[in-house]
Amino acid sequence: MGKFWVIFVALISILLPFLCNSFSPETPTDRRVLVLLDDFAIKSSHSLYFNSLKSRGFDLDFKLADDPNIALQRYGQYLYDALILFCPSVERFGGSVDLAGILSFVDSGHDLIIAADANASDVIREVATECGVDFDEDHSAMVIDHTSYAVSETEGDHTLIAGDDFIKSDVILGSKKINAPVLFKGIGHSLNPANSLVLKVLSASPAAYSANPKSKLSTPPSLTGSAISLVSVVQARNNARVLITGSISMFSNRFFRSGVQKAGSPTKHEKSGNEQFSTEISKWVFHERGHLKAVNVKHHKVGETEEPALYRINDDLEYSVEIYEWSGTSWEPYVAGDVQVQFYMMSPYVLKTLSNNKKGLYSTSFKVPDVYGVFQFKVEYQKLGYTSLSLSKQIPVRPYRHNEYERFIPAAYPYYGAAFSMMAGFFIFSFVHLYSK
Amino acid sequence: MARSLAGFLVFSLFVSICGAASLFQPISDSHRSAALELFTPDHGSFKSLEETYEALRTFEVLGIEKKPDVTASACRSISETLGSPSSTPKDLFYALKANSIAKCRINEKTSEGIITKLNAAVGGANSLLDFYYSVGGLVLIKDQTSRADVHLADTEGVFRSVKAFSQSDGRWRYSSNNPESSAFAAGIALETLAGIISLASSEIDQSLINTLKNDISKLFDSIEKYDDGSLYFDDKLVDGREYQGPLSTTSSVVRGLTAFAAVTAGSLNLPGDKILGLAKFFLGIEAPGDAKDFFNQIDSLACLENNRVSIPLILSLPSSVLSLTKKDSLKVRVNTVLGSNAPPLTVKLVGAYSSGSKDTSLVETQDLKFEAGTGVHILNNLPKTIDVGSYTFVFEIVLHESEHEKIYVTGSQTKVPIFVTGLIKIENAEIVLDNDLGNVEAQKKLDLAGQNAVSLSANHLQKLRLSFQLTTPRGHAFKPHQALLKLRHESKIEHIFVVGNPGKKFEIVLDFLQLVDKFFYLSGRYDIELAVGDAVMENSLLQAIGHVELDLPEPPEKAPRPPAQPVDPYSRYGPKAEIEHIFRAPDKRPPKELSLAFLGLTILPLLGFLVGLLRLGVNLKNFPTKAAPALFGILFHVGIGAVLLLYVFFWLKLDLFQTLKLLGFLGVFLVFVGHRILSHLAGTSSKLKSA
Repeated sequence: MGKFWVIFVALISILLPFLCNSFSPETPTDRRVLVLLDDFAIKSSHSLYFNSLKSRGFDLDFKLADDPNIALQRYGQYLYDALILFCPSVERFGGSVDLAGILSFVDSGHDLIIAADANASDVIREVATECGVDFDEDHSAMVIDHTSYAVSETEGDHTLIAGDDFIKSDVILGSKKINAPVLFKGIGHSLNPANSLVLKVLSASPAAYSANPKSKLSTPPSLTGSAISLVSVVQARNNARVLITGSISMFSNRFFRSGVQKAGSPTKHEKSGNEQFSTEISKWVFHERGHLKAVNVKHHKVGETEEPALYRINDDLEYSVEIYEWSGTSWEPYVAGDVQVQFYMMSPYVLKTLSNNKKGLYSTSFKVPDVYGVFQFKVEYQKLGYTSLSLSKQIPVRPYRHNEYERFIPAAYPYYGAAFSMMAGFFIFSFVHLYSK
Repeated sequence: MARSLAGFLVFSLFVSICGAASLFQPISDSHRSAALELFTPDHGSFKSLEETYEALRTFEVLGIEKKPDVTASACRSISETLGSPSSTPKDLFYALKANSIAKCRINEKTSEGIITKLNAAVGGANSLLDFYYSVGGLVLIKDQTSRADVHLADTEGVFRSVKAFSQSDGRWRYSSNNPESSAFAAGIALETLAGIISLASSEIDQSLINTLKNDISKLFDSIEKYDDGSLYFDDKLVDGREYQGPLSTTSSVVRGLTAFAAVTAGSLNLPGDKILGLAKFFLGIEAPGDAKDFFNQIDSLACLENNRVSIPLILSLPSSVLSLTKKDSLKVRVNTVLGSNAPPLTVKLVGAYSSGSKDTSLVETQDLKFEAGTGVHILNNLPKTIDVGSYTFVFEIVLHESEHEKIYVTGSQTKVPIFVTGLIKIENAEIVLDNDLGNVEAQKKLDLAGQNAVSLSANHLQKLRLSFQLTTPRGHAFKPHQALLKLRHESKIEHIFVVGNPGKKFEIVLDFLQLVDKFFYLSGRYDIELAVGDAVMENSLLQAIGHVELDLPEPPEKAPRPPAQPVDPYSRYGPKAEIEHIFRAPDKRPPKELSLAFLGLTILPLLGFLVGLLRLGVNLKNFPTKAAPALFGILFHVGIGAVLLLYVFFWLKLDLFQTLKLLGFLGVFLVFVGHRILSHLAGTSSKLKSA
């Protein structure tokens, strides 16, 4: 009986990843999302955003942030693929969730969306700081912009900002241009200059500053101009993606439906860019876009198909790799002109751009350098917004064998001739010496 | 507590989105479009009759004309439910509710059956919800079939058994064995009791009704309040199963209260402010994104719109940002919660307070002029005392007819935050470079509204002074929130200074000697930018003034290093330059002809040797004449030739091992034959000598 039980458990643990429709390297899009809220009213006030996620097949699990029963993992297995923190005011998470738990969740390759707000709590700020962005330390500060605010009949203090300084990246924001400005009302943050993984997606205008709108400004604001980031994304080295914004209301139904007119601009947009912006960026965060995989790394000598165990110097070889991009439902061929391969031993000896056949196959050919040693084929592909590809394949390169050198060198004919004439002379001399009288 | 706090935070979020701490807008067209988005039938019908009712009711209240046509499918499922013998009172209740709007025909026989069934259900009911559905169903069928004979058999008994669920604090329990009381249940109970009263064949005991009125006022004692004056009911979250959230709870109470007020005579003695507070709560949440919440909001507002207690009137402003320069007039609208017109009334502006000082009013009390065409109360010219700035205006509503005061509730005073904006005049802007003795070295006038391209150069002993003056449209000095001077070095390091105003003038003096440390001793070009902005300044600006070329001293040993600047993300990625391996160049070789020529030269000594031999007259006379030595001699020379030929083959194709092997055999052979021939030759020569 005990044996059956062990087999059953083993079977379940093997089948479990296939049974539950969840994240895997083969289908990198997240499925199960935990949404932590301050109040269930957000579920209704931000329903358009949540509905757009649900309609794309995400399984949203709404919980209060201080719910004592929430947990990210159980028995060492993560219960969710992504986490949405729509709880700017939470002082302490309930259950087993804490700062370290959230960070190890991200460290294990899961995705995170953080929306803060004015008076965001310390724990939310800490999570953001760990991701490489620093919210304005002044808790009452908001982003104020007196030149590119959204014109509003009821909004007079210019904290409702019409942001249109987007990052120029089709993979993050979709190929369709966001025409209408994005409404933003909340706190700004700055990026840690030492962190190269964090990107500003929506920047404030040069005239913006972060301060308390109600009190007089006596010291220079800590954040000003386009150094203020309104929305940032992080792509960690393990390809976990994080979205950080200082405004939870930018996801709200009200902002989604609201029209927008930027101050000083005559065009009034019927609908703000918030819906398009949040939908597109959530596609990126949840790996529906910009997730690459490389398969079928092959190399061989020109004219052959078998992969050799080693190359000789000066061989001509062909290298090919197939790269695909996840589209949310299937792997589509990835087409780009900047994938490069390195033939590398301590430093690249050859670095060549691969040409592609528009169907995902990238290939090139080159001559093995005349330096022998243990080389690597390396593809280190990093592109703004895409997951990074890092492939390496080791291959030794040997010098010529003794009999592979050139045998009859014309320049050496005098030497050969001298030796052979010497030998002929010796032969004749042997007769002369022995028999001559 | 934590919950209500969280709820408050969310609520304050909505309020802050509204932009005004106590400005509520009545239901408008945005709600109508939201309703059409939320209630979209799936293949011509809604999922359940409850949902159908909610959708129809919302469309009815909002007066939406272009609603999706679901009447046919709704009627089909209503008659199915009503005709089915297995329908529970709950199903019947929602079917009848949906029918109250869909207005399908119910035949006499069916309604007869339903009445008996519901009457039996009332008799057998033992929880609040049982009573609610069965009594509610009876009320609905009475209205729909206009039959006078629908009434409860033992009205008072039923009344008392429902009343038995009430608690001392005005809340109710769901059933007798559930100790938890809730305000949500109170609303349901009130609605049920209102139904019982309307179904009563005889007058209900007045004392029972009076205790119920008492319960209601107790329930209102537990009402909760937000900072902006809106009121709501909320239940404590105990196990979360029956917890409904503030919106559903408040909505249930409002529905029960208005139903109860509609069937009882006499007043409920509820202060009108509480009703107004409830109305504000529903208006403050804007358009919820959840169909159920949306229905609760709209239905409750509809209940408040025509209730017998007091009808709230909402004061709203189409625009709370007024421009002095454009001479905007102050417009105020007074509507009921659903946006219909209010009775004749006058709106008075009783005070205006600057957001800085709260104590003295800047205006005298004055009436706003009513424009009948647009239904707007207007104050055409803002008083002279109102300059640009943010203010709190206080309005009061005075109803014209005194009997309206019993029907409507307006709230004593409405405070509305108002922003008065205007174009600010910028004058006397100049930038001055002083030397260390205080003498002016360079002075440039600036036109901050236009383009400036100042080009200065300074060293660390000089001072840069920038000054300008701001005047409001009314001629007062103006202090903007944002008056920042930005110096940006070539290396993108920015330095920001707040421009202060010691007097009437805004002035900043940059003493470079004091600032060298802050500037990290970085000499070079600094771009100067000035940002002047305020919420009420219509011409907020960010101006590039020009640049100053600074010549600062060399940094001392321990000077702070400038901070790292973020790397441009676009340049961080992207393809690298290609690398081609440079192969070792092949050795230089002489041309082939030269090699062949030298090959010819190497043959020459051999030829010379041969010629020399011929000239010497060599002969082979010493060759043995006897057969055996001659054979050995021939074999010896053949052996030598073979060894030499082996060398040729070694050169052409053989490797060292093959060569050595063959050489070994040949060597042995050569030693043998060589010994024979050489000893023979030695023998003949010694014979010759001795002879």
